[in-house]
Amino acid sequence: MATRPSVPIPLAARRVTARAVRSTRRTTVSVRSTIAKAGFPYRKPSVPGGISVPKEPSKLGANFDTEWARSPVANAVRAVVTEGPLRMLVHGVATPSVYGADRLEDFKPRDDEDARPLIFTPNHHSHLDTPLSITSIPMPWRRKLVVAAAADYFFSSQLKGTAAALMLNALPLDREATGRKSMEQITDLIADGWSLVIYPEGGRSPDGWGQDFKGGPAYLSSKTGAPIVPMFIDGTGAIFGKGMKRPKPGKTKVVFGAPMTAAEGESTRRFNARIERAVSILGDESLTDFWTARQNAAKGSTPDPKGPEFQSWRRTWTLNEQRKRGTTGLRVRQKRVWPEL
Amino acid sequence: MNRELRIERSLPKFAAAKVAGLLSPGRGSSYGPLSLVNADPLDLPADGWLTIKPRLAGICGSDLSTIDGNASRYFEPIVSFPFVPGHEVVADADIDGVSRRVVLEPVLGCATRGINPMCPSCAAGNLGNCERIAFGTIEPGLQSGFCCDTGGGWSQSMLAHVSQLHVLPTDLSDEDAALIEPAACAIHAALRGGFTGGETVVVLGAGTLGLLTVAALRAFTPVENIIVAGRYPHQVALARKFGANNTCPTPELARLVRSFTGSMAYGNQLTGGVDAVIDCVGDSASLTQSLAITKPRGQVVVVGMPAKVSLELTTLWHRETSLVGAYAYGTETMHDGVRRRTFEMAIELASTAHLGQLLTATYPLDEYKDAIEHAANAGKRGAVKIAFDMRQVSK
Amino acid sequence: MPRPGFVLEVDKSTPPTLFWRGEGFSLEKLPADRSRVIYAPEPLPALDDIDGAIRHALLNPIDQDPLPTLLFPGMKLTIAFDDVSLPLPKMKRPDIRQRVIEAVLDLAAEAGVDDVHIIAALALHRRMHEFELRHAVGDRVYDAFAPRGMLYQHDAEDPTLLSYLGTTPQGEEVEINKRAADSDLLVYVNINLVAMDGGWKSTATGLASYRSLRHHHNPDTMQASRSFMDQHKSELHKSNWRMGKVMVDSGVKVFQIETTLNNDTFPSPFGFLSKREWEWSAKDRASFIGTKKALDRTPNRIARKIFHNIEAPHQMTSVQCGEVGAVHKITTEHVYKQQLVEVQGQTDILTMGIPYISPYNVHSILNPILVMCMGLGYYFNLYRGKPLVREGGVIIMTHPTPWEFHPVHHPSYIDFFEQVLSETTDPHVLSAKYEEKFANDEWYRHLYRTSYAYHGVHPFYMWYWGSHAMQHCGRIIIVGGEARSVRRLGFTPASTLNDALELASDVVGRSPTITHLHAPPIMIADVT
Repeated sequence: MATRPSVPIPLAARRVTARAVRSTRRTTVSVRSTIAKAGFPYRKPSVPGGISVPKEPSKLGANFDTEWARSPVANAVRAVVTEGPLRMLVHGVATPSVYGADRLEDFKPRDDEDARPLIFTPNHHSHLDTPLSITSIPMPWRRKLVVAAAADYFFSSQLKGTAAALMLNALPLDREATGRKSMEQITDLIADGWSLVIYPEGGRSPDGWGQDFKGGPAYLSSKTGAPIVPMFIDGTGAIFGKGMKRPKPGKTKVVFGAPMTAAEGESTRRFNARIERAVSILGDESLTDFWTARQNAAKGSTPDPKGPEFQSWRRTWTLNEQRKRGTTGLRVRQKRVWPEL
Repeated sequence: MNRELRIERSLPKFAAAKVAGLLSPGRGSSYGPLSLVNADPLDLPADGWLTIKPRLAGICGSDLSTIDGNASRYFEPIVSFPFVPGHEVVADADIDGVSRRVVLEPVLGCATRGINPMCPSCAAGNLGNCERIAFGTIEPGLQSGFCCDTGGGWSQSMLAHVSQLHVLPTDLSDEDAALIEPAACAIHAALRGGFTGGETVVVLGAGTLGLLTVAALRAFTPVENIIVAGRYPHQVALARKFGANNTCPTPELARLVRSFTGSMAYGNQLTGGVDAVIDCVGDSASLTQSLAITKPRGQVVVVGMPAKVSLELTTLWHRETSLVGAYAYGTETMHDGVRRRTFEMAIELASTAHLGQLLTATYPLDEYKDAIEHAANAGKRGAVKIAFDMRQVSK
Repeated sequence: MPRPGFVLEVDKSTPPTLFWRGEGFSLEKLPADRSRVIYAPEPLPALDDIDGAIRHALLNPIDQDPLPTLLFPGMKLTIAFDDVSLPLPKMKRPDIRQRVIEAVLDLAAEAGVDDVHIIAALALHRRMHEFELRHAVGDRVYDAFAPRGMLYQHDAEDPTLLSYLGTTPQGEEVEINKRAADSDLLVYVNINLVAMDGGWKSTATGLASYRSLRHHHNPDTMQASRSFMDQHKSELHKSNWRMGKVMVDSGVKVFQIETTLNNDTFPSPFGFLSKREWEWSAKDRASFIGTKKALDRTPNRIARKIFHNIEAPHQMTSVQCGEVGAVHKITTEHVYKQQLVEVQGQTDILTMGIPYISPYNVHSILNPILVMCMGLGYYFNLYRGKPLVREGGVIIMTHPTPWEFHPVHHPSYIDFFEQVLSETTDPHVLSAKYEEKFANDEWYRHLYRTSYAYHGVHPFYMWYWGSHAMQHCGRIIIVGGEARSVRRLGFTPASTLNDALELASDVVGRSPTITHLHAPPIMIADVT
C-alpha cells in the first residue's frame, strides 16, 4: 500500500510556481547586469598585463569541504528543508508511493540505541532520485543520511556545492579517479553512524534503461559491515530524465528491498552482482507484484532493467511498452473482493 | 345538584392545555378546559332515556388527548360542548323499578337518537359505524361522554338510553367491569384482522388497549404467536400473563420480529415479517414501524387513536400492505362464522381474564387533577388503567 | 535476563493495584494480608534474526521433510493463516504472518509452484477488512494475491467450498475448506499467543464449518475442558486432535508452522500498563495520570479508537514447523516459558480488570457478552492444574459493560443479548432451545458471508466459553458495569470494588482471600 497519498498539484498552483520561477530568473539577470555595469570594486579586478596570478588549489570538485553540513545547526536546517519544501517539491512533481519500507523494520533501533547505518543503492534516472530517496527513506535513517554525489557535477561551483551539501547532505564523489579520498571519507562517516545513498550505476541513465552497477557500494558494505538496502525507483526518468529541460509531473514508485550483507568470503564483484540482481527483482516487483517477481527470479526470467541487447529505436520502443505496462497493466485496481464497511 | 367534570368550548383554554400538555402529559387538567362544577341535572331528551349513577368511570387515552388539547379537529362536528367526559362507565341504573349494576355501551347510534329506520350500519349491528352520530333527537356526539345532552361518566349522574345498558352478572366485580368497554374495543380490533389460524401477530404498545388486545386475541382468535412490544417492564410482564408468547421493549421489536420470522432485511425494512400488526399507539413512529415489520400483503390494524401523522407509504404500495382502522364495537363475526355482540364477549372476557387487575388506582372526582396526571403518566408510573370512583359519595 | 512471573502478597505498604476497566483503568487498594497479585513474567528476548530463524525452521522441520522437498512444480499449495483475532493487540508491522508467508512463498517460487492460494482461517469469525488483511499478510502478498482472487477468507457457509472428510470414532463430523483439503500441501501459519491456540485446533477449527465445529464448541465440551489452556485436560483439544487424525487419514497433508511471541504488549507511552506498580518511575506515573485524565474527558468512541490503534511491540520468541502434534508440543513449551506463573493454592475471590480488547472485538466494541467471555472464558481459564478461584468462590471483574454492540460486526450478538439472555442464561438451556435457530438464520449467514459479521452462532460459543466458570463460581460481580446489562448477563453489578467485596461476603464469608490477575500481559497460573 502506498504510504504517501498521491496529491496532484492543482493547475493554479503550478501556474503560480512557474510565475515565481520566471520572476526569480528575471531578478537574477537584472542583478547580474547591474553588477557588470558597476565595475571594480564591485567586480573582480582585471589582471594587469604580464602578471600571472598564482593558482590556488581548487576547493571545488572532490575537494569540496562538506564537514560543516553535518553540524547540528545544518542538520536542523536540513530537517526543516527535507520535511517542508523538499517534500512538497517531490510530492508535487513525482507523487511517490513507497513500498517495502517494512523490510527495514528489523534494523530499526530498539530502545535508546543508535540506528544502524545502511547503504541505500537505488537505480538512477534523474536528479529527482535524490530528493525522492531522501523523503522516502524511513525515519531513523532519514535524519542521518549522506548522499554520494558526482563531484564533477554537483560540486563544480561554490554555490551549487554549498546548496547540495546543505539541502541534500551531498558528499562529493570523484567519478573519474577511483578517489581514495572520497571512499575513505565515506567509510569514516558510516563508521560514525551515517547512512548513505549511493547510485551504483555511477550516473543517470542516458536512455531510460539501467546501466551496469559499479563495485563501490559493495566494497563499502564489505568494508564497513553496513548492510546494503537495494532500492528501486520507478518513474523519475519520465518525469525529469537526463536531457530534459523541465520536469513533466507524473507518478513514481519507490521500493525498498530486504537489507543484504556480503556472505562469508563473497568477493566484492559477486556481491555487487547480487545487489544488481536484487535491484532488478525489485524493479520487476514494482512493475508486477511480489509473487510474480519471485517466480521470475526463481525461473531466472527477471526482466533486465538494462534493457534488451539490441540498439536503435527498438530499445526506446520497448522501454515505452514497459512504461505502459507499469501504469496501466496489473497496477490498475482490480475488482473489489470484499465490500467496504 | 350534580357534581361533574366538564369540558367547555374555550379556544384559549385549549391552547393553554396544549402548552401545558407539551410540558408534561396530563398537566392540561390544571390549565385547560376541564373543570369540576356543580350542575343542574339534565333533562331526559326522549323516551327510553333514564338517569344512571356512575360507580366507576375509566380515564381513556382519547379523554386525555382532549384534555391536553391534542384531539383531532376531525371530532369537532361530532361532539357537542359542554360535555362531561367518561365513556367507560359502570353504573347503577333503575331498570323497571329494580336497581341493577350496568355497564354502558357508549356509542350514540340510531337507536339512542330515535332514528327510524336505522342507518345501514346500525341495522347490520355495527354500532360503532353508525352513520347518524350527529343527527336525531340529541345533539351531535359519537359516544356518551362527548355529547352535551347525555352527560358522561365523570360525574355523579348521567343519562343513558336503555339500549346502551348491559346488566352485569352479580359475581363480576366493579373493577373487572370497568375494563369492559376498552375490552370491547380490543376484541373488535383483534377480530378486525380476520385471523383464520396459525398467524403471527404483533401487538405494538402495551397500555390498556394493547394488553386487552392480547387477551382478546388469545380468547377469541386462533392466532398462533403473539409478540408484544411495550415500553415498560410491568407492561410486558402483564402481556405475558395475558398470553403473549414473546415480548420485548419497543426499540427491540424490529430485531425480534426479524429473528422470530427468520426474515432478511434491507435498510430498516424487513423482507418478510409478521402477518399482522395491531398498532395500539397510532403515531407516526409506530405506524412506520408497523409497516416495516409486516410481511407483504399483511395488514396493519390501527387501534390507537392517531391524529395527524406523517408516513412513508412507498412500502405500503410496494408490499401491498393493508392499513385498516379499528374503532369501537358492535357485532363481531368469529373465525368460525358465529356472530356475537362485542359487549357480551367483553363481559365474558372481563370475568375469565380478571381484567380488574389492570385497574391500578381510582380517585374521587375531587382529586381529578391527580387522577388525570396519573393516567397520563400511567406507563412511567407503573400503572395501567386509572378510573374515577364515585361509590364513596353515593354510599 | 527477564524476571519470571511473580505473586505479590499485599501488605499495608503495597501501592494500589492497576485494574483495567475497558477503555480505561483505575487504581484499587486491595485488603492487606489476605490479597495476592499475580504478575506476568517479563517479556522474553526476541529472536535476533527473525527472517533467518523462519528460514532455518522451514528447512529443518520436526518429524517432516524440509519444506523445499515437499514443493514441486504443478502442485496445489494452500497457505492458511490465523485471522484478526491474533495477536492482541495487533503487532507492529511487519506481522509475523507476513514474514512466514513471504518465506514460504520464496521457497515455493524457487520450487516453481504456480498454484498457490492463501486463506484466512477464520472459521465463524467475521471477515477481515482489507486493511486488516494487509496488516496480517503485508502489502506485497496482498497486492500480489488478492486482486487475482488467490488470497481470500475461508467461508464456512458455502457448501461448494467445503469438503466432508468423515467422522471420528466419537461420531464427530469433519468438514473443512475444500481447497485446503484438496491441496497437495496445506501450510498453516499460526500465531500461538495463548496455550489454547495452535495444534490441530488451527486446521480443525480455523478451516471448519458449523457442522464440524458444533461437536466441540458446546457447553458439555467446554465444561469438561479444565482448562482449555491446558491441552492435556481439555476436551476441546481432544476433539480437535481426533478430527486432525481424520484429516491425516483422508490424505490431507499439513505442514504446520507455529510461532510464539513474547508478551511485550504495550508500546512506550503505555509501558506502565505492564509494569509492577511499585516500580513505576516518575515518567510512568506521569503518563498514567496524563492518560487517565485525558481518557476521563474523551468520548468513549474516540477512546476506543485510540486504544484499538495501539500496536504491540510483540516479537517472535520461537518458530517451529513440521508435523502438527510434534510442533505443537514445542510451541506449548515456549508459551509456558513466557506465561507460566507458579501460584500456591486457590483463592476465595478472583479479581480481574477486563481490558478494551478481546479476540473478537478487534477494531470493534467489547460488548457485554464479550466482557463475560473475557472474564469467564479467557481469564478464568488462564490456569493449569486447578482454577485460581475455589469452587463456589466469587469472580469480580471491573469493566463499564455498556449496553453497546457493533452493529456490523456483532448483529447476532444483539439478538442473543435481547432475546435469548432475557429468557435464560443457562448454557445448556439456551443451547438446546436457540442455537440451531441462530446457526441456520439466513440473515446472519448472509451478513457473515458478505459483510463483516460474526456468524449467527458465535455469541453462543462465547457463552459456552464461560460455562465452566459459571458452573464453578458462586457469584460473579462486575464493578462499574452498567447495571441493566450486568443483570442481563445474570451477574451482580457493584459500583466500587469495596461494594463488590461486601457483596461477595455473602458467599465467601467476612475475610476471604483475594487474588488479582494482573493481566494483560497474559499469564497462565500454574496452581498447586
